[in-house]
Amino acid sequence: MAKKDIKKALRDFWYGKPHSAEEGGRRLGELLEDKTQLYKHREWRGVKDTLYYFYMIWGYNYLHMVTDIIKYSNNPIDFLKGTWRYRWMGQTYLPVIHWFDRGLQGMRGEALAASAWHYRAMVSASIQQMCNFFNADTRLHHGKENNAYRHTILAKETTCGTLFYPWMDAGYRYVPIEMIPYFVTCHVNSHTVLNYIDAAQSIGLPGDPCPMCQAEAGIYVLDDVPDCSPMAITCNEACDGSVGTAILQDWFINKPLFALPLPMQFDDPLVKKYCMKEIEECWKFIEEQTGSPFSWESMVKRLELQNRLQRDEWEKWEVAGKTDYYPVNGVAQALFRIFSTQYGIQGDFWLEASEKVKKIMYKCVEKKINPFPQTRHRVIAWSCAPLYYSNWCTWAYNCWGLNTLINMDSLMFDMEMRTDSYENMLEDMATYHMWAPMRRMAVGGMHHIFELWEYMEKFNCDMVAMYDQLQCKGMQGVHGLFEDEFRRRDIKAFWMPHALPDCRTVSRAEIRSLINDYMTTVMHEEPLDPSLLDFDDSMTW
Amino acid sequence: MRDLKHLIYFENLLQEANNELVQKAKAEGKRAIGYTCYFMPEVLLDLPGCFSVRLRAPRCTSPDIATYYMSGRVCHYGRSLMERALEGGFNFLDAQMATETCTVTCRFQEHIQQKHLDSVEDMRIIDNDDFFVEFTDVPFKNTENSYQHYETQLRAHVLEPLHEHFGIDISDEALLQTIEKHNEICRLINEIGDYRKLDNPTITGYEFQVIQLVSLVCPKDLILPYLRETAEEMKTRESDIKKNFRCKVVLAGSENDDPEFTKLIESCGALVVCDRHCYGAVESRIPIVVPEGKSPLRAIAEHYLKTSNCPRFMPQDEMRARKQRIADLAGEYHADGVIVASNKFCEYWSYERVIDTFILKRDFGLPVCSIEKEYINSASGQLRTRFQAFVESVEIKHIQEGK
Amino acid sequence: MCKVSKFLLKFCGIVLLLNVGLFLVFFFDLDGKLLYRVVEPFLKRHYDNMDRKDPVKTPYDMEKFPKYKYDD
Repeated sequence: MAKKDIKKALRDFWYGKPHSAEEGGRRLGELLEDKTQLYKHREWRGVKDTLYYFYMIWGYNYLHMVTDIIKYSNNPIDFLKGTWRYRWMGQTYLPVIHWFDRGLQGMRGEALAASAWHYRAMVSASIQQMCNFFNADTRLHHGKENNAYRHTILAKETTCGTLFYPWMDAGYRYVPIEMIPYFVTCHVNSHTVLNYIDAAQSIGLPGDPCPMCQAEAGIYVLDDVPDCSPMAITCNEACDGSVGTAILQDWFINKPLFALPLPMQFDDPLVKKYCMKEIEECWKFIEEQTGSPFSWESMVKRLELQNRLQRDEWEKWEVAGKTDYYPVNGVAQALFRIFSTQYGIQGDFWLEASEKVKKIMYKCVEKKINPFPQTRHRVIAWSCAPLYYSNWCTWAYNCWGLNTLINMDSLMFDMEMRTDSYENMLEDMATYHMWAPMRRMAVGGMHHIFELWEYMEKFNCDMVAMYDQLQCKGMQGVHGLFEDEFRRRDIKAFWMPHALPDCRTVSRAEIRSLINDYMTTVMHEEPLDPSLLDFDDSMTW
Repeated sequence: MRDLKHLIYFENLLQEANNELVQKAKAEGKRAIGYTCYFMPEVLLDLPGCFSVRLRAPRCTSPDIATYYMSGRVCHYGRSLMERALEGGFNFLDAQMATETCTVTCRFQEHIQQKHLDSVEDMRIIDNDDFFVEFTDVPFKNTENSYQHYETQLRAHVLEPLHEHFGIDISDEALLQTIEKHNEICRLINEIGDYRKLDNPTITGYEFQVIQLVSLVCPKDLILPYLRETAEEMKTRESDIKKNFRCKVVLAGSENDDPEFTKLIESCGALVVCDRHCYGAVESRIPIVVPEGKSPLRAIAEHYLKTSNCPRFMPQDEMRARKQRIADLAGEYHADGVIVASNKFCEYWSYERVIDTFILKRDFGLPVCSIEKEYINSASGQLRTRFQAFVESVEIKHIQEGK
Repeated sequence: MCKVSKFLLKFCGIVLLLNVGLFLVFFFDLDGKLLYRVVEPFLKRHYDNMDRKDPVKTPYDMEKFPKYKYDD
């Protein structure tokens, strides 16, 4: 072996292979098995990053998956029983580490560490939610309605967790019904949700409504929703499909159900008073059902923590928008934000993760470390993302140097809530609920969706990844105007068609192929890692 | 049966949104106010000096430009309206009173709205300098809070803009006068519609739908004489001795302004005796009552929320009561079954249709035919087969029950 | 060599072996392969064959629940 080769081999061993093809790069695509995308062997990221991944991500998270169960479960046996009873549980929980692998593929140094902390918080929060389910589920307790059952508030996943803070001090837990069975499963194991979509259609639901709502309904059809609360709350967020889902949800839950519909025209100052009253009515329903009063202290305590999380996010966005030192990758940014908002502050995992990420971020700023050194384009991702391929941005960075800095979902809950008085809090609560989730840009006037231009500027982006959810009526309804505006403004944008959770409608390979075509034929660029251009991942999780 | 004197005239009025009577009213200096949804109370748009036009896009089978703007994966109704607007078919409108009550019609109305922001270029789809669009927020419940909210919204986003832009009198007196006129229309339509309750009805579902539709799309003052005359004519109209139908059905479902669809059902032997859908008369022709001590606007707000059976109403009791309502209508109109038809891509009715299909059959013993259709009835062959099979199944049920 | 040193040496050896073993599992993605090829198919079969309640048999009572109204 030539001296030069030995030197390179040693350098590759110590630092990991370089990213780009010209430098004898790492060719990440070759590490993976065809179709399943299981690793032939995991990536060697250099000594430091490989050991970091082994100990601080792989080992740490496997270990904490166990300790979290012990921490949040009243009886770990219930967790096992839940795994055996519910498809979404068994099929989702086990491949969690592979969810990390997909999102963190090719990441190095600060990007690897910071993104992994976001993932860690999401896993911890999800385990807490699973335990909330199983602690209370009568199906796992011989039909008995135990104390946990009586202390669980069940709500549709799109109802913001903030609403239930007033009962947390009294020992109540909020469970967003479909969040784990549907939303989380799509990211972790995209096979699971297909059962639910098919189940919904098996009772006559047509295939054209939003597949998210179909899957949410399908969980009930397959009898896969734990019976863990004496009541439920539903809402009209985010769209007509959610309203439709509530119709089936009411039938299958067959328990006291409170509807919390929020106004659509949220820019109109006249709607606020109405919305505030609706929220108060919801609180009265909870009081009536639980017999436990609204606690202002409990509310304020958690809202302040939530505000801190929001301020953290603003700090991060400041760095993301103005520098090249933001260490969180696109998928970790997007999911952390939406998970944390939907679950609400029910533990300290969000803030802990946020603190750790900020520390890493400021280290990057101080030492001028660019965590994504191969960035060719700063990308903003707009509209709703493909849940079965939320890690597309990791692939896009590795393959093409497209660094997705921010996405639309992250920007929806962009506010602090005042805690100085009940009236101010309620007013802000109304605004917050009218904006979130998936609503801030989607309803209340077409101009909101075109806030894209402002955010492009704010985050200093030069390219748009335009998600094209084929069954989202709201977004399909403005498709042509985006085309017109992209042309008029000479904005580089590629479309990513998808069907939210359903990987059968548009496969991951098709999405990649569209991006590849755009990058070669429009941008005339060469891939950084050609091994990632074309591969078969049709059977992957 | 003898042909109705004005039926052909009515049918012609339905060929264009800007029909003969609309043109006549415009020539008289009245303002044409468009709307798409039941939740925009037509009575408010019929105040002296203006008139309501519920938007339709008849004969729009190929909405190509609208498909570019809205894609082919949204409701055909919304796209057809957009196409018609792009073709200039709605340039006669002076205003559009919009609601965000379903996504696609909302997007259509946003498209024709002038853009005040520089975020997107204004296409100026409606070529009329006076034209404006105003959105009203419509609640999802029947509660005191919802009534108050709706009343506030209707005042701020319907009455006041009409007054500001066109000097329309929005006083309580004017509202009461308009309610009276509106109620006369309701009385006439109900009178005509009640003949569908007869054992051998003297009006077909198709004829009734045509009459109901002209009452929605024409200036009330101008259509009223024709309706009066038709109501008179109905008093002496006799049915054919032999029944021309094999069963009677309630037609429930989403947006449906296509009388040809009703004609198709009836050609298969099912007489449509009740129309509980977005453009039907069941809700829209219930007279408005203004109780003592309540303002006319408040009465209107309550009326439109209380009478609606739209699946967007979310409270548990109301979701369930909707099924009871259809069953009650089937009883009232002596229907043998229910056809639930939703437009393809209609999110609300996709779900409501599923549950109706199970519950009406299981809990009320009503045969149900569940149909997904396009706005314009293009798949008539397939639909005909479905309806024929349904009629046969109802007949078999009758034989089994010994009727 | 004293007992403590022996114990420490043994302990370090076990820890080292454990680390090497786990690293091999990690590096060759043996966890993933086991989950994908053995555990998931087994669980899928179990879930597919499970007895489930027929949801469309759920009652749909018109009068069971009151009106949840709090603004009068």
